[in-house]
Amino acid sequence: MAAADSPSAALRRRDLCSRGIRLAGKMRSDVVDLLDTYVERQGLDASASVAAVEGVPAAAVERWDEQTGTQRLLENLAAYRAFRVLLAQMLEEQREQLGEADAALGRALAGVLLQVSAFAYHLEELLRLESRAPPSEEGSGPPPAPHLGLFERKLRGLGVLRELAQWAVRSARDLRQLAKPSPGSSSAPGMAESP
Amino acid sequence: DSHIQYERVGADVTMKCGSMDWDAAVTWTANGTDIDESHLNGSYLILKNVDLTQSGQYSCYEGSSWHLKYQTCLRVGTPPKEPVLMCRSNNYPKGFYCSWHLPTPTYIPNSFNISVIHGTREMVCEKDVFPKNRCHIRYLQLFSTVKYKVTLTVTNALGKNSTTLTFDEFAIVKPDPPESVVAKPVTNNPRRLEVSWQNPSSWPDPESFPLKFFLRYRPLILDQWQHVELSDGTSHTITDAYAGKEYIIQVAAKDSDIGTWSDWSVAVHATPWTEEPKHLTTEAQVTETTSASTSSFMPPPTTKICDKGAVVGSGAVAVCWTAGLVLAAYGVLFI
Repeated sequence: MAAADSPSAALRRRDLCSRGIRLAGKMRSDVVDLLDTYVERQGLDASASVAAVEGVPAAAVERWDEQTGTQRLLENLAAYRAFRVLLAQMLEEQREQLGEADAALGRALAGVLLQVSAFAYHLEELLRLESRAPPSEEGSGPPPAPHLGLFERKLRGLGVLRELAQWAVRSARDLRQLAKPSPGSSSAPGMAESP
Repeated sequence: DSHIQYERVGADVTMKCGSMDWDAAVTWTANGTDIDESHLNGSYLILKNVDLTQSGQYSCYEGSSWHLKYQTCLRVGTPPKEPVLMCRSNNYPKGFYCSWHLPTPTYIPNSFNISVIHGTREMVCEKDVFPKNRCHIRYLQLFSTVKYKVTLTVTNALGKNSTTLTFDEFAIVKPDPPESVVAKPVTNNPRRLEVSWQNPSSWPDPESFPLKFFLRYRPLILDQWQHVELSDGTSHTITDAYAGKEYIIQVAAKDSDIGTWSDWSVAVHATPWTEEPKHLTTEAQVTETTSASTSSFMPPPTTKICDKGAVVGSGAVAVCWTAGLVLAAYGVLFI
């Protein structure tokens, strides 16, 4: 395996970043559409404010421009792994609640879930390129879905999707930072070790 | 004893001459001019239904001694109407600015106070030196779903008013228009124009936060614009321009992911390349006066339309005849 800053690794990183940026763009567009569908099907008010949802990783970040490449990848990966679990929960709840009655919403949720999984995998690849093994998933991730009433579950779902939409924008920005050919974008100062 | 007194337009104002009794003999002046006694009620000055022209320095003098007993600067104005507030980020992700103005003047001094709240956090909006009614704020957090709430309060001696704006981080992102827009013809290509521009200089990091662009162009003689959206790059070649027509071209910018389009850039004008006019050869070869043709149409050599040996007038006819052919050819282009 090439060292993290060899020319082929740099090319591979750029390639993964470009594709990741496109994935993030498509994901955001689909999440925005899903949000519209979700709000409509669940009978919610699109402008309803939702307090911070427990277990939903917030995209908001301070000193974003000072983050290292590895920090960006790790935070993104943790977020999308959490969203993978949360969206699976939402899909399960939606099937229980509406059964087959709302196939469109189910399909849209499943579609986004697939993209979230693909993006998480993409991030793991980028981490490997930084000579960092992706952290294991055991013991991490959001807590099991709390026992909420139907309306609370709907609002929680709204919170999850809104935060995911923010993440999709942030991820594209993070990957662009990562793709910049500057020392600050590598995971550690100096040469990384060859595995 | 001098001070400032603020009164509303249309109010009735009563001024007392300091500590003088009501029945004291006094003289009032406004900006140095004596005020007629009909405006007095004893030693009180009564101004009914004041208007803006009555602002000024009012002085009261004791009758016989002409000692100045009281002086006030009357400022007639209005309480503030609801201010107009706007917030925008043209330098994302650094921060945003808010600017404001009053829809109608109050004619008296106003003070503005702005508060910016993000969730539970109160942020400081630093006032700009210029322009005055503007402040800027640095983002402490990015990618937040929590909305910003900006409240502007305007206060003057006659009242106060306020307005509140609530928005999220992405919604107010609007870059400045692209700069240095240049449009050039392309040699040997009568239907092309090469347009190039630069990112607005206020946009801090176009590499991480790339802009996309919208180009619009039309020939001056038509009203309808052609539009092209460009997801990257700062140049574009128009390939369907009408030959020989002057074009007007503008460009706008937007962050690739969020926010709204900028205003249109300054317009530039350009005309596509056209072929050099070929010289018109006639027997009655005249000088530059007849060669103003953009057509490649070659009139057949005129054979003695005018009699060379004739009087002066015929030379002019030759000019007119050839010029007429040229104009006719030119006219055909425009049908």
